[in-house]
Amino acid sequence: MLCVTQVFAQNRTVTGTVTAQEDGLPIPGVTVRVKGTTIGTQTGTNGKYSLSVPDNAVLVVSFIGYAQQEIPATGSVINARLVVSSRQLGEVVVTGALGITRTRNQQSYAAQQVAAEEVSKTRSSSFITGLSGKVSGLEIRQNNALGSSVNVVLRGTKSISGNNQALFVIDGVPIDNSNLNGRPTPTTAGQQDGAGGYDYGSPASDINPDDIESVTVLKGAAASALYGSRGSNGVILITSKKAKKGLGITINSSVSRGTVDKSTLPKYQRSYGAGYSAGYADPTYHYFFYGDVDGDNKPDLVTPTTEDASYGAAFNPSLMVYQWDAFDPTSPNYKKATPWVAAQNDPTTFFNKPISNNQSIMITNGTDAGTFKLGYTRSDENGILPNSNIKKNSIDLAGTYNITPKLTVGGAVNYYNINGLGRPGTGYDGGGARNVMTNFRQWWEVNTDVQELKAAYDRTGKNVTWNYADPLAGNLSPIFWDNPYFVRYQNYETDTRNRYLGNVNVNYKPTDWLTITGRTSLDSYTELDEERKAVTSVGVPYYSRKNTSYTETNYDLLATVDKNLSKQFNLKALLGTNIRKQNTQSIYAITNGGLIVPGIYSLSNSANAPNAPYEYKGLREVDGIFAGATLTYNNLLTLDGTIRRDKSSTLPASNNTYYYPSVSGGFIFSELLKQLSWLSYGKLRANYAQVGGDAPIYSVLDTYTVPPPFNGNPQSAVNTTKNNPDLKPERTKSAEVGLEFDLFDNRLGFNGSYYTTETFDQILGVNVSTATGYSFKFLNAGTVKNKGIELSLNGTPIRTQDFNWKVTLNYTRNRNKVTELFKDGTGEEAKNLELNSFQGGVSINATLDQPYGTIRGTDYIYDKTTGQKVVGANGQYLQSGPTATIGNTNPDWIGGINNSFTYKGFNLSFLIDVRKGGSVFSTDMYYGLATGLYQETAYTNDLGNPVRNTLATGGGLIRPGVKEDGTPNTTRVAASYGAFGYVRLPNKAFVYDAGFVKLREAIVGYTLPQKTIAKLPIKEVTFQLIGRNLWIIHKNLPYADPEDGLSSGNLQGYQVGSYPTTRTISLNLKLRF
Amino acid sequence: MKKILAVFLLVSIFSACKKDITSLNTDPKNPNNVPSYSLFTNAQRRLTNTVTSSNVNLNIFRLIEQQWQETTYTDESNYDLTTRTIPDGVWDALYRDVLYNFERAKKLIPTDVVGADVQKNEIAITDIMQVYAYYYLVTTFGNIPYSEALDIDKPFPKFDDAKTVYGQLITRLDADIAALSSGSSFGNADLIYGGDITKWKKFAATLKLKMGITLADADNAAAKAAVESAVATGVFTSNADNATLKYQSSPPNTNPIWVDLVQSGRQDFVACKTVMGFLQPAALPADPRLPYYFTVNNTGKYVGADPGALAPFALFSKPSGPILVPGSIGSITNPDFPGLLLDYAETEFNLAEAATRGYTVSGDVISHYNNGVKASVTYWGAETGQADAYLLQSNVAFATATGTTALQKIAVQKYLALYNRGWDAWIETRRLDYPVITAPETALTEFPVRFTYPVNEQNVNVTNYNKAAEAIGGDKVTTKLFFDKK
Repeated sequence: MLCVTQVFAQNRTVTGTVTAQEDGLPIPGVTVRVKGTTIGTQTGTNGKYSLSVPDNAVLVVSFIGYAQQEIPATGSVINARLVVSSRQLGEVVVTGALGITRTRNQQSYAAQQVAAEEVSKTRSSSFITGLSGKVSGLEIRQNNALGSSVNVVLRGTKSISGNNQALFVIDGVPIDNSNLNGRPTPTTAGQQDGAGGYDYGSPASDINPDDIESVTVLKGAAASALYGSRGSNGVILITSKKAKKGLGITINSSVSRGTVDKSTLPKYQRSYGAGYSAGYADPTYHYFFYGDVDGDNKPDLVTPTTEDASYGAAFNPSLMVYQWDAFDPTSPNYKKATPWVAAQNDPTTFFNKPISNNQSIMITNGTDAGTFKLGYTRSDENGILPNSNIKKNSIDLAGTYNITPKLTVGGAVNYYNINGLGRPGTGYDGGGARNVMTNFRQWWEVNTDVQELKAAYDRTGKNVTWNYADPLAGNLSPIFWDNPYFVRYQNYETDTRNRYLGNVNVNYKPTDWLTITGRTSLDSYTELDEERKAVTSVGVPYYSRKNTSYTETNYDLLATVDKNLSKQFNLKALLGTNIRKQNTQSIYAITNGGLIVPGIYSLSNSANAPNAPYEYKGLREVDGIFAGATLTYNNLLTLDGTIRRDKSSTLPASNNTYYYPSVSGGFIFSELLKQLSWLSYGKLRANYAQVGGDAPIYSVLDTYTVPPPFNGNPQSAVNTTKNNPDLKPERTKSAEVGLEFDLFDNRLGFNGSYYTTETFDQILGVNVSTATGYSFKFLNAGTVKNKGIELSLNGTPIRTQDFNWKVTLNYTRNRNKVTELFKDGTGEEAKNLELNSFQGGVSINATLDQPYGTIRGTDYIYDKTTGQKVVGANGQYLQSGPTATIGNTNPDWIGGINNSFTYKGFNLSFLIDVRKGGSVFSTDMYYGLATGLYQETAYTNDLGNPVRNTLATGGGLIRPGVKEDGTPNTTRVAASYGAFGYVRLPNKAFVYDAGFVKLREAIVGYTLPQKTIAKLPIKEVTFQLIGRNLWIIHKNLPYADPEDGLSSGNLQGYQVGSYPTTRTISLNLKLRF
Repeated sequence: MKKILAVFLLVSIFSACKKDITSLNTDPKNPNNVPSYSLFTNAQRRLTNTVTSSNVNLNIFRLIEQQWQETTYTDESNYDLTTRTIPDGVWDALYRDVLYNFERAKKLIPTDVVGADVQKNEIAITDIMQVYAYYYLVTTFGNIPYSEALDIDKPFPKFDDAKTVYGQLITRLDADIAALSSGSSFGNADLIYGGDITKWKKFAATLKLKMGITLADADNAAAKAAVESAVATGVFTSNADNATLKYQSSPPNTNPIWVDLVQSGRQDFVACKTVMGFLQPAALPADPRLPYYFTVNNTGKYVGADPGALAPFALFSKPSGPILVPGSIGSITNPDFPGLLLDYAETEFNLAEAATRGYTVSGDVISHYNNGVKASVTYWGAETGQADAYLLQSNVAFATATGTTALQKIAVQKYLALYNRGWDAWIETRRLDYPVITAPETALTEFPVRFTYPVNEQNVNVTNYNKAAEAIGGDKVTTKLFFDKK
């Protein structure tokens, strides 16, 4: 934003330094202006300023949180010592919608600011994750895979099938944060469906954390109504670093090390090896393949290599078995039998402890003529998986130039270059071609030593697997699973994104109360995602490439008025127009039927002629005009109203124009209670807003899909979604009341809101009976209500000259309910809308009269009187049909508590992030418990025998519960394959509480005292030791991180092939010149 | 004030751009009009894929019928329909991907096809294909959406009584047979008969015969009427009449079995002991179709695995491998192996049954039975001489064949002839209750005599689902359907 840095030649120059009275240190960024004029400047990083002033000028020196001073400009050196003032709290400047600044007094809606150091101090390559736990009302879910997407939702899920992610805006420029993990073609299951894929991350993460000055979160619709439909989910406003007067150079250099949090990895049983059950060829144990391996013409015991489960023979060190490595001619165990024991190195040893680094330099300068900023950041992040790396380069360049005192031009360009290599595969990926975790968590032989697989891959570079198709017949191809190292090193993806984000703006201030801003901004990127499956992998080898280009252009013209109408009344008004044009294009091509030459990844290397690539071109234009006014009376009352009209190309012409009104009011009651010295500040606020939303692109007119021709005969099919030419905008009504106060000289602060939102006429791709010929139909239907409380509390229990202890607490409680779905022509009401169904037969749903995001699947049958689980005649649990509600993905509440301590140059802070409640379905447990990987599947039963013994030998278990007649179950059942997993238990058994308590961040820092560096040409030297995701203090989901999910988006609460949490510890050195 | 005016002027200029932005919302990459024949071609292929597929998410009837058996992941062999939501797979494939696309083709034909007779023929052929698809839906689920189906304005269609639907399907076939006159139709866009009207008429009659026979236990009079009128129209008389769709030798339009068994590189299926017992009876020569149906195992023998149990791949025979003799229709596992929709062999068995039941058809039980066996054996590639020899074996020769009644004898040979057509075999097993298929010990349920309704219907079409479940006597796999009376 352009600010008051407007200086023009006057008759003489005054200089000076502004310091703080409390510590005597210089304060940068202080506004120094000539009273009654627009002449002004800001102090530089050393607190110095220089200003040309007319005769008899009076300087007004002001800075947020400090009492304003007026000093007659007599003499050429005028220093000022500012005094902290709690009475000025209402004058704190906050950034609001469209980047328009206003004072806290004038702001009548919930907005929370996060300072730069809070955002960037963790030295994470994505700033978004740094917001977790720091803002009330904001729920962030981060997935654990390297570079994966982040789900950012403010005040609960509002739209049933639309986007619920907050809008990111940097310096007034909206930036794309689409989920890039979509289905490669409309008919192919994708990453978000839980099928195999890669998580290409959230594009908003591109933003360079070191270029962020502050982040303001506009939570409710009243705050964001001026953004039109995109603001309906709240806005995260990012203000980039601004140049201050004088040259400033900041260098950050950090190095970090990642380790795996073992509490998010399985604990394997170590009693039984490969197999599904007895029934193999060997005559003694019935658990082994049986054939001659060593050439003595006598059959030998061979691991059943085809069996990706651990329900085989009990381990016995004296039993010698030919294992997979006995068939690998390069192995030291070639043709040798080895003891039948659990692997020394289980899959938890698969992970690396990667070293990553991050370097940044930022140069800023400000002179009378303008400002300049240039930054460069490079981060090189290695993942815990072998061969995974993301490199990011970003260049931030911005400048302003004062053509005349009234006319300023500015421009900024940010360039981001992101290169991914070997991002972790996600989802339930048949054959483990991408996601090795489905292998390690679900289908595995615990006798297999991961480090030996590594050695085999390192020796040969080939797909030497534990999972041979038929070793005795010499078929050493993998049958279901590749060597996981081969997967990581050969079946890797690569991606490149080049992104330009920029704007050019003109700021004209004809009078001191009117500003006119014109701006053109661009967010443009091209991305290439390439995926590979090498020859010899399970399944059909392929190479695919997806080129995506995205361009969004915004044209804004904005006039703002800030005028004191009288001594009592101040008017802020704005009138503006915005034209937004989006253009997304992609083309996806994949080889057909395999690759001819191994290792060549090109479309021309396709075994059969490739099918026509899948093309997409989507355009959207939204034309908006808007106006707003804020009237303030005596800093006591504020009345604020905005209206915006949008016209969107994605709606039918007859319904494409819609309005967003908002009205809000604030009452600064502390103004009337000035006699209460302990009340520093107090405000009541209330607001109401309506926002609308447009439709997804191409949901109005019907089209056909065109599969490849059959032997030259064209083929076509009706699209499985029925579009709707009568769509109208989706609407959200929201209301909010809030209270904020600061007490005891600003040592205790409180900010709380209660809000309700109702989103109705939702544009839904309604799930219909497929007997209609369609899967979905677009309708305006459905209502979701959210209500919630968000609280922020900050306190300074101890504040002395040298020692400071600050506590901030954020708490969010959102309640969400689907109150209406849709009706058919006969008035029949739908009870449930399936959002997606997943492996295992569970689905995520919007269920009528339930919170959004119910998990449905099979449940136990419960005895009506005792509530106990009912067991059938065979001793197994009876199960319900697949539509029982077995979980709800919404948390009861979320919160964060941050403590920070400063003692002289030292500081220590730690953030605890809490999520209470919510459910997650674990496909990993669903299968992994069935295949006998986990320690829960091998224990001593109530008879004192191994539970896996046959019933005849005292094994088995009695399912806790009652028979159908209500008497306790006494039927013992075998603990054979599947007994603890999906085969015999309903989906409900694998729904876990997703709550957690995490030590999210801990930071120790030390800043060298000014005295020490006084003689050096350096202003600040700071060392920091930063820990992220250090400790999951509490969780209820075994062996995995409850926060992990598939991807960003509406489908939360489902885990499959989950990655472990990465702890990182970084060391950072910051130098400021 | 002038400045303010200037600003307002600028604002109004920006907002006054009255261009038609709605045109941006027209998808430039996908058509909103297509020729009707392209819909027909695609739906025909999808229909054939659905009945041919061996995908465990869709077509598990070979496993239910114990022709094949799963090796490691034995869920479907143990009748687990829910983990992979198989009923949804079948329902979506037939209603959405097949029936509705035929329906759309029917709507477009009158506007984009020249010639009233051609239009009439094409609509009739399309309708026959729809009846064919509905036959599998109604015999799989029982009551199904019919009168309100294929209409997006009714997102929650009611379920109609299965037997009523069935009667209406036969009536539709009558109308189609009557409508098929001389003249041309789809030409090459018809992947089965190349648009040959005579063949389609025969197909419709043969399908009607089959549908009549299917109804025999439930409604003898209706069955008799359908069978006799079908025969009068003229049914299949040789394998040359068979309704086959020849797939292509390279992807994507290959036989789906090849995709599952060969292209995937997986080892999911082996022969099941149940069918192997019939193909390789003790102390008798093996069935001449055996080498076409299965390969030998790692020790050179034909061995089937126990149903429902773990089956190490190497130890058992596989669904036929690449050892097949040239000149036959090729191996099941060839990419261009044809999909078979309706054939002469089953037609002869249907006629044999009709004769047994005393319906008026030419020829006697034995001759039809023998013709059926011969047709099947030769279709798979064996010599006529082999078929003749086989028919002389004590277990095959009608007088002494396996089974105590004529219907049981026919049922055994029909079961063998319907190898690789598990869905049809399943209908016959339920109807004729012979050969007896015993549920594996480890099975989750008894032998399924229907599919439960799709999870999606249970979730979204709740009221009508509940009504349908009640009407048929419970949405269970053990609820017997309308045709499965004895």
